[in-house]
Amino acid sequence: MLLKKFLRFMLCCSALIFAAYVPAALAEDAAPPAEPHLDIQNHRYVPDHITVPAGVKFKLTVKNNDSSPEEFESFDLDREKIVAPGQEITVFLGPLDPGDYKFFGDFHQDTAQGVMTAK
Amino acid sequence: MLTVLKRRHSLSCVLFAAALLCPALARADYHIFSPDDIDYHEFEFEHNGDAAFDKNPAFNGQRSYTAELGYGFTEWWHPELEFDFEHGYGDDEPTNLQYMVWENTIRLTEPGENWADVGFYAEYDYGMHKDAPNGVLFGPLVQKDIGRTTHTLNLFFDKELGPNQATSGTDFSYQWQSRWNVFRQLSPAFEIYGDAGQLDHVPAFQQQQFLIGPVALGSFLMGDASKLKYEVGYLFGATDDSSKGTVRWRLEWETHF
Repeated sequence: MLLKKFLRFMLCCSALIFAAYVPAALAEDAAPPAEPHLDIQNHRYVPDHITVPAGVKFKLTVKNNDSSPEEFESFDLDREKIVAPGQEITVFLGPLDPGDYKFFGDFHQDTAQGVMTAK
Repeated sequence: MLTVLKRRHSLSCVLFAAALLCPALARADYHIFSPDDIDYHEFEFEHNGDAAFDKNPAFNGQRSYTAELGYGFTEWWHPELEFDFEHGYGDDEPTNLQYMVWENTIRLTEPGENWADVGFYAEYDYGMHKDAPNGVLFGPLVQKDIGRTTHTLNLFFDKELGPNQATSGTDFSYQWQSRWNVFRQLSPAFEIYGDAGQLDHVPAFQQQQFLIGPVALGSFLMGDASKLKYEVGYLFGATDDSSKGTVRWRLEWETHF
């Protein structure tokens, strides 16, 4: 009896973990048409203002063209990720409500600042 | 500007050193683990604490603290070494180093790529007293962002090991946090901590531990690549086997060297 309860519970946990790997099928999670891109050049984001679609998930790519590491970070987007020199990373974002989302470079906060506008 | 940032950096070091030198208090594991809280090549110095309050002298006065050092060795693996100090129920109980804990947080999915972010947590507890049992604790971590809110679930199984086991079965506990990301410096959340006890004889709910309450958390940028994080909350005990009130706090300094 207890074993059945335990097995049922483990099955629920497994389903929970498996659900995280199921590809998004809901309408609001449909793949967006564009993939925005940022370059890091001389400890600045280029461009420092990008526009992305609201209401859909999308991929942001960030390429570090400098010789020192940077960390793409944003409280508004709830993301932080190291970008090694010469490396390009992918950040999965959205769906975002319409509005402005600030991001910055944690290793060069004075210069690496940007805004993402979702609309 | 640079002088201000250097002073903030120095202040964060002083705060941390003071926190780490605090006498260790009880269980101090009122801490929600996120599968996304892994930063490559980042050091973390962390202090957790909690203090229980109850009219029942059997519950009143239990306190615990931890001092922890962690490092993001890879983009998906973050281990920490924790020193766990506890002060038992009652004023006459001493405060002692109870456990040395090896914690491991593992990220299994890229943040935001799937419906939810998934990770795994595993720790080994080494009892510092000759009569103390060792133990393992492990389980899945799941996190989901919905708009400007973040919801995190931890499910844990733990088992005592070695010749000093007080119990032979597997204990099940769970933790939940819902957070509204308002400001970097201050965001509100609520948390749940539950312990259902041994899986082979789960007691009635009133004989389980269940605490729920509000938490305030935030972080301050302390110059390039450094951050001071805090959490402070009050948990209300909702069962007969839970202390009626528990204050919990966390202070963490992250930096890249």
